[in-house]
Amino acid sequence: MNGESLNTDAAPDTARRRFRMTLVRVLIVQAVALLLLWIVHARYHAS
Amino acid sequence: MHPINWVIIIGYIGYVVVDGVRRARDTNQLEGYFLANRGLPWWAVGLSVMATQLSAVTMIGTTGQGATDGMRFIQFYFGLPLAMIVLGVTIVPLLRGARVFTAYEYLERRFNAPTRSLTSFLFLCSRGMSCGAIIAAPAVVFSAIFGWDLPAAVALIGVPTILYTMLGGVQAVTWADVKQMVLIVFSLFAIVIVLLVQLPVSPDEALRIAGTTGRLRTFDFSFNLTDTYTFWSGVIGGFFLMLSYFGTDQSQVQRYLTARSVPEARTSLLMSAYWKIPLQALVLLIGVLVFVFYVFSTPPLLFNPAHEAAVRTHAADEYEALEARFAEAWTAREAAAHRLAETPRRDPAAAAAATQFRSGEASVTEVRAAALDLAQRVTGQTPRDVNYIIPHFVLTYLPVGLAGLFIAAIMAAAMSSISSELNSLSTATVIDFYRRWVRPHGSDQHLLRVSKIATAFWGLFACFVATYAVRLGSLIEVVNRFGSFFYGSILGVFMLAMVRFAKPWAAFFGLLCGMGAVAAVTFLAPSVSFLWHNVIGAATVLLVGILLSAGTTRLRDGDAPDAGTAT
Repeated sequence: MNGESLNTDAAPDTARRRFRMTLVRVLIVQAVALLLLWIVHARYHAS
Repeated sequence: MHPINWVIIIGYIGYVVVDGVRRARDTNQLEGYFLANRGLPWWAVGLSVMATQLSAVTMIGTTGQGATDGMRFIQFYFGLPLAMIVLGVTIVPLLRGARVFTAYEYLERRFNAPTRSLTSFLFLCSRGMSCGAIIAAPAVVFSAIFGWDLPAAVALIGVPTILYTMLGGVQAVTWADVKQMVLIVFSLFAIVIVLLVQLPVSPDEALRIAGTTGRLRTFDFSFNLTDTYTFWSGVIGGFFLMLSYFGTDQSQVQRYLTARSVPEARTSLLMSAYWKIPLQALVLLIGVLVFVFYVFSTPPLLFNPAHEAAVRTHAADEYEALEARFAEAWTAREAAAHRLAETPRRDPAAAAAATQFRSGEASVTEVRAAALDLAQRVTGQTPRDVNYIIPHFVLTYLPVGLAGLFIAAIMAAAMSSISSELNSLSTATVIDFYRRWVRPHGSDQHLLRVSKIATAFWGLFACFVATYAVRLGSLIEVVNRFGSFFYGSILGVFMLAMVRFAKPWAAFFGLLCGMGAVAAVTFLAPSVSFLWHNVIGAATVLLVGILLSAGTTRLRDGDAPDAGTAT
């Protein structure tokens, strides 16, 4: 096994937790971005 | 253009080249040259991923598209965040764990050498060509607005990029990408501020004017295979396109192979998932605001100065008549825009004001279409006037310094994409072909020399293509069309690699069938949007690969008892 795999295996829980947190943040940012786009669409499209 | 703007542009080019040459000191081995010894921080890799995708086409073509077509292009990116998440848990650990230089190298380990060579060859063909299109985008515009010869404009962008990419390798590419991305984002925000300050109406009124013409339609839920920019083509077709581009295209794969670890590589990809939609919305919004700006400030009838000069010379009377009609239509539309802005939203007269503005807009569009038709007849070229809207605004209305900065940002966007592509083209050439088939035991120093030669070769090839690429269609779609012909099929092979019982020759045959399916759709149903080609290619490869592999497995299982009986 290479060094990277060992490094990743050493703290799988931490890495997984960090990835999950980033994932949640990404989803929140996307939801907010889509919501803002929808507000623009609803308020101004063919107004 | 003002000398201060030129100083900024020349200063930027000089700085990028000198910095790239400085980075060459750390890259005296193949792994350092191509993968920065897998030691770059996630944020630098993430910015490099974004800078690679954001080319000059975005700065010129997408902003122009925002001005003429509005925000609906944003739907193209709706599948991107999900694609990044999927790649983070599938391809990233797979390729990082295999410690490969190229994505295609992994395919030889999983399947066989022909599959690796074919996918890598397809990458070289499509990326080599699209790299030319990426250089061509700003070069054509610069040659028209500054009156340069096209080869000179191509050389201005291509030569410095070839130099720093060839000498500094991936280190130079990544760190230049970081600075270029900062310059691009800064100039985008600066132009928004300038626009908001210069508009004679409030931001709310500006958006209302744009919305009246349908330019703020950000969601279109109709399901139509021939329309590229709908919610469904963005979510489904865009998802597959982004999976293919970020997961199997060496120009992107190589970015996250340089990260320090799997989590850092994942995070660098998620950075695009965070920012791509907001950034793209900003780019399109600039176009929309420029449209509103030209509702109140007289625009030229043709934005392309070279075409305007040609039409004035060869069809002066017809053009002057069109200009007179245009002035009349524009004045009526401006008056209607003022009325619309002054009428409160809930006022009963608001609907009539909106109808009047739409009618004025239709008249302006009609005259402009006639002028474009005239330009095409006179020059024999498709006008592509949309690509000159933003450069015209920048050079005419931006303050001194900021105009130079924005032109430098257009060059930065081009260079950041070209450098990553040259670097990856060189990697695939040397690792997948030269080291694999010609010199398997070549020394590091020898391979490093060949890598630099390969970078120079692909750079010159791209410059050559750049002179011709513009004739193939819209600058935005040229780049995507080259890729989508192969992308989906290559993605299908990687998806098949994750199917445990998939057989090597089934993958190779599936790849050929996938490309055949995309070719068939392209020629038999040309109206189907290119975004769907990726879905068709990937699905065909996966289906054919699984069926052939399952058939073979069952055949062998069935053969075994017979063989036993015979024995």
